[in-house]
Amino acid sequence: MDLTLILTSSTLLTLTILLTPIILPLLSNSSKNTPTTITNTVKTSFLVSLIPMTIHLYSGTEGLTYLWEWKFLMNFKIPISLKMDFYSLTFFPIALFVSWSILQFATWYMASDPHITKFFTYLLLFLITMLILIIANNLFILFIGWEGVGIMSFLLISWWHGRAEANTAAIQAVLYNRIGDIGLIFCMAWLAYTMNTWEMQQLSSTHQIPTLPLLGLVLAATGKSAQFGLHPWLPAAMEGPTPVSALLHSSTMVVAGIFLLIRTNPLFNNNQTILTLCLCLGALSTLFAATCALTQNDIKKIIAFSTSSQLGLMMVAIGLNLPELAFLHISTHAFFKAMLFLCSGSIIHNLNGEQDIRKMGGLQKMLPTTTSCLTIGNLALMGTPFLAGFYSKDQIIESLNTSYLNSWALLLTLLATSFTAVYTIRMTTLVQSGFVRIPPLTPMNENNPAVINPITRLALGSIMAGMLITSYIPPTKTPPTTMPLNIKITALLVTALGIILALELSKMAQTLIIKKQNPLHNFSTSLGYFNPLTHRFNVTHIMTGSQTIASHLMDLSWYKLLGPEGLASSQLAATKLATSLHSGSIKAYLGSFALSILIMIISTY
Amino acid sequence: IPLIYINIILTFTISLLKILVYHSHLISSLLYLKKIILSLFIITTLTTLNTHSLLTNIIPITILIFTTYKTTINLTLLISISNTYNLNYIHNLNLLQY
Repeated sequence: MDLTLILTSSTLLTLTILLTPIILPLLSNSSKNTPTTITNTVKTSFLVSLIPMTIHLYSGTEGLTYLWEWKFLMNFKIPISLKMDFYSLTFFPIALFVSWSILQFATWYMASDPHITKFFTYLLLFLITMLILIIANNLFILFIGWEGVGIMSFLLISWWHGRAEANTAAIQAVLYNRIGDIGLIFCMAWLAYTMNTWEMQQLSSTHQIPTLPLLGLVLAATGKSAQFGLHPWLPAAMEGPTPVSALLHSSTMVVAGIFLLIRTNPLFNNNQTILTLCLCLGALSTLFAATCALTQNDIKKIIAFSTSSQLGLMMVAIGLNLPELAFLHISTHAFFKAMLFLCSGSIIHNLNGEQDIRKMGGLQKMLPTTTSCLTIGNLALMGTPFLAGFYSKDQIIESLNTSYLNSWALLLTLLATSFTAVYTIRMTTLVQSGFVRIPPLTPMNENNPAVINPITRLALGSIMAGMLITSYIPPTKTPPTTMPLNIKITALLVTALGIILALELSKMAQTLIIKKQNPLHNFSTSLGYFNPLTHRFNVTHIMTGSQTIASHLMDLSWYKLLGPEGLASSQLAATKLATSLHSGSIKAYLGSFALSILIMIISTY
Repeated sequence: IPLIYINIILTFTISLLKILVYHSHLISSLLYLKKIILSLFIITTLTTLNTHSLLTNIIPITILIFTTYKTTINLTLLISISNTYNLNYIHNLNLLQY
């Protein structure tokens, strides 16, 4: 029983099963894809991917596959090498499980769409490229997956491409991802130049790597995972259909940046600058996203901002030099975030397209399953003890509290945790409880198994996954073993504070009279003024700068002003001065004669 | 003593300037031209009489003779100009032939 062989073959089998719906219709004309076949394909590959994961958990087997070598240069060969280690083998079943549930949900959600098969094909392509990214051992293969998920994100966000906001959001996503790609390509170029390789195994070097290529990596993660500087695309990406938001922008694509940092962790383990940068950037994005989520009224935007906030938390974990915790948070976060998105999709469809939580209320009696799973997901998001989010989130906050770091980052993260609790409770209470604010005639029906099964499956996952994963991961770093009581329950305290605050506010809000606008509320509602500031300021300056250089400097001044036209104009000015002397009147001549005599006489003194 | 000469030289320079920078009429320039010649004459007679050199006696006399020619020719030119052009103004004297 050669376990390694079984491991590698079953992983490759998983990928091949996923490729079948794409390749088979090309080969034979009779087999057509339907949404059900694609869903079943993903389900099969999920079941197959459980095999290598169990082998790995049983015996710690890891695999490395070299498929083919692209002889790029004489001594720089790029192999297609796939690494099946703990990260990739654990993430495969999770990603496939979540995708299976989402695809099953999408058969109900997009049932009225005429191009539903194309939609499913897009989702499948996205999944394949995401898995290529995960399994890559090579920065080149990772880059293929990276670009693939970027392209599929663009195609999927602008699925309803008749809508102008959808197109704008898709372009925004691609642009921000591209800015991050610059960093990735820079780092790859530097690595190819100095280390002559793009393999992950050969990446850790004994001497200190200069900060600049690592900054490129951080830039790539900022772009892809929507950290603070390059974040506006993530809320805007909610223009896509809900299954797209669930798959891409909650579980899989946005963790690609964090995953890159996890994979290349040996490069910057000992570079304190990069670690501090990750820490502060993550803390800032967590708090910023949580602040923006406080006053959002669109249910999908709230969930998008919470994704952004959790991504910041993952970045914080990387900044603490704990990539395993970041990966754990990625895995647990996938479950409850996808479930939150699916619940919101069910609510939106059942309310006939209403996405504003101010127009929802009292849904608990009308959509019991959905709202219960919504509550479970929200509790998991807040880090309720022993649900999925607790295992990862609490560990991160414990490590934050017990390590020697920037206290500002700590403060921001704690504040963001309490804000998480606040907006989650706000969303839950406004959606489920209280008075009913929906229009009377709504097609409310959640009895379709295509809706119930995925949501309950993911609910089960978000309850159990935390415990299951933490029981089976091999420990690499020693967790902090003792800490004072108040440090230990900081996360709980802060979350409880947020919950109490939100409940009090919601009770008060029915009798409270506040001013129409106050600056803090404006800050939160307009997303921190980031979008208009950067989108207009940056672009105007870059454009005017480039206009100055390209047209004013080159065309107008070098070619015209300082060249022939300048010569002509200076000559013209001189001659205009001198023309008055040439007027032909004797008076001018006599005047110049007098002037010259005067000058001569004066010059002799 | 040069102090005497300074006065005459001053008339010379001022009349010179007056020719070159004039107001409007040509006649005034001719007047000052005459004044220049007059001051030159005075200068030459004074120097010739003070330095009793016999050769330079001729100079003032010839100046006087030639001034008569000059003044007649000037006046005829003036009449001819005012006949052919509209006015007497110097501004009209233009070398350009358009």
